Amino acid sequence: MSKTKTKEENALPTVKIYIMGSAHEVPASLTIMKAMEYAGFKIKRGAGCRAGFCGACGTVYRKAGDYRIYAALACQTQVEDGMVLTQLPFIPAPKGKYDVDKLSPTASSILKFYPEVARCLSCNACSKVCPQEIQVMDYVQYSLQGQIDKAAEESFDCVQCGLCAIRCPAEIPQYHVGMLARRLHGKYNMSTPETLLERVEDIEQGVFEEGFKELMSLSKTDLKKRYTERDFVDQKKAG
Amino acid sequence: MVQYSYFPGCNLKTNAKGFEETAIAVSKKLESELVEMPNWNCCGTVHTMTSDNIMKRIAPIRVLSRSRKHIEDLEESPNQVVTLCSMCNSTLKIVNKEVSDNEDTLVKINYQLEEDEETYEKDMEVKHFLEVLRDSVGYGEISKKVVKPLKGLKVSPYYGCMLLHPEEAKIDDEEMPDVLESLVESLGAELIMSPLFKYCCGSYHIVDQEDIVSSQVTKIVEAATKRGANSLVVACPLCAYNIDQQQKAISKVSSSFRPIPVFYFTQLMAIAMGEPIKINHFNDHFINPEPLLKDLGLTGRKKT
Repeated sequence: MSKTKTKEENALPTVKIYIMGSAHEVPASLTIMKAMEYAGFKIKRGAGCRAGFCGACGTVYRKAGDYRIYAALACQTQVEDGMVLTQLPFIPAPKGKYDVDKLSPTASSILKFYPEVARCLSCNACSKVCPQEIQVMDYVQYSLQGQIDKAAEESFDCVQCGLCAIRCPAEIPQYHVGMLARRLHGKYNMSTPETLLERVEDIEQGVFEEGFKELMSLSKTDLKKRYTERDFVDQKKAG
Repeated sequence: MVQYSYFPGCNLKTNAKGFEETAIAVSKKLESELVEMPNWNCCGTVHTMTSDNIMKRIAPIRVLSRSRKHIEDLEESPNQVVTLCSMCNSTLKIVNKEVSDNEDTLVKINYQLEEDEETYEKDMEVKHFLEVLRDSVGYGEISKKVVKPLKGLKVSPYYGCMLLHPEEAKIDDEEMPDVLESLVESLGAELIMSPLFKYCCGSYHIVDQEDIVSSQVTKIVEAATKRGANSLVVACPLCAYNIDQQQKAISKVSSSFRPIPVFYFTQLMAIAMGEPIKINHFNDHFINPEPLLKDLGLTGRKKT
């Protein structure tokens, strides 16, 4: 049995952070987003999945005694002593309106909707700021070069937080460019996966309808039981 | 086998695919392989020429630095980055010279590159592929690889401006160049000299003042055909585009105008060395060279 901790020993270690200029003492283990909420702020815009996937919570901050401005996803970054914070509710960026069926997987499709791409200075500020550690500049360059496949692959992990766009001296909305590249790649360069076609065909022929009907008719208890006892059997093979 | 770090530039991936594919094919044949840099950015092009904007030099310096890293992965690779586009060649050479002469400029640019671990140490040379062919490979070696001499092809070399100007970027004598001439002769073609070998093609006026380009191109082509040329050979994708595309436009309005095909020098090399015709991407050309090549027995499997 361990000794009972004193109240002081039990207290969580805290850090002092500055939210929009005013000081707050918050538990050191919190993320930026939770620390702001701990301090009493209610975040309506600039928060989403809270798991690092949706990209809604791009934020900028500075650290004590450091000349740099940092950027990160607020839900994924732990607070540090002396941090100066704010929360960005929204990052405005122009978004091209296009019909992907009427384009071609070329540099001119990219330049038609995002002509700023040609202004890229290759400064790499976008890659440095990316919370997903994507080589953003490289995919912007691949787009400009018409290497749509490479642009799509390099930008694949993008969560559309838009932090790249706020650092760009050429004012390129990189994350929208990457999205267009991936759409073009998916539409024109990649083949439709056979397994997907097969599954769609199965669905259309009603292969799963019986099974679903049965599940829908079960009581909650039976459904739970079925779920815990489930086994992954290929229904077609199993007959 | 010598391997060179090859910097394509945007045109080689879009309008000039035939230039790139033929260049790579013949480079392998000549045991001087062009190996594309894995991740390259724009050379900086004309923006870079503004003399007071260092930020615009980050792009070309990053190219030099990435190429320096690339050669570590190559065989017997000299500290050279090889270009095909004369605009890229010019931009990279000018900036390389500038930072070599001016330590302050390089220090400022390197501040922007140090976090990426891509600072530049002034240890690369920029070479146009024509320089590699002339100075490292040699015309003799090129002749040895010719299996289908370009007999009957009357070629007029057209340099445009970027290969011969300015001083710090030129690859040959600005008044009496002979690199394209010697190359064409080593392939067995007949050389047709034209006084308008570097008369401006109209360059970027193609974007908003096509009439200027059209008038320049008429003069360039007529100067060559008057002297008996049945084709032009070029090295610059912009010259190639302007001359090729405008000839088609001129033909539509002038019945007396006789268009001639425009070849990249590497396309002629590939044909003479018996490479497959499809790597030329002749379907991207406005004036199709295939009828002429067919007449001369330079396509297909057998010589006539």
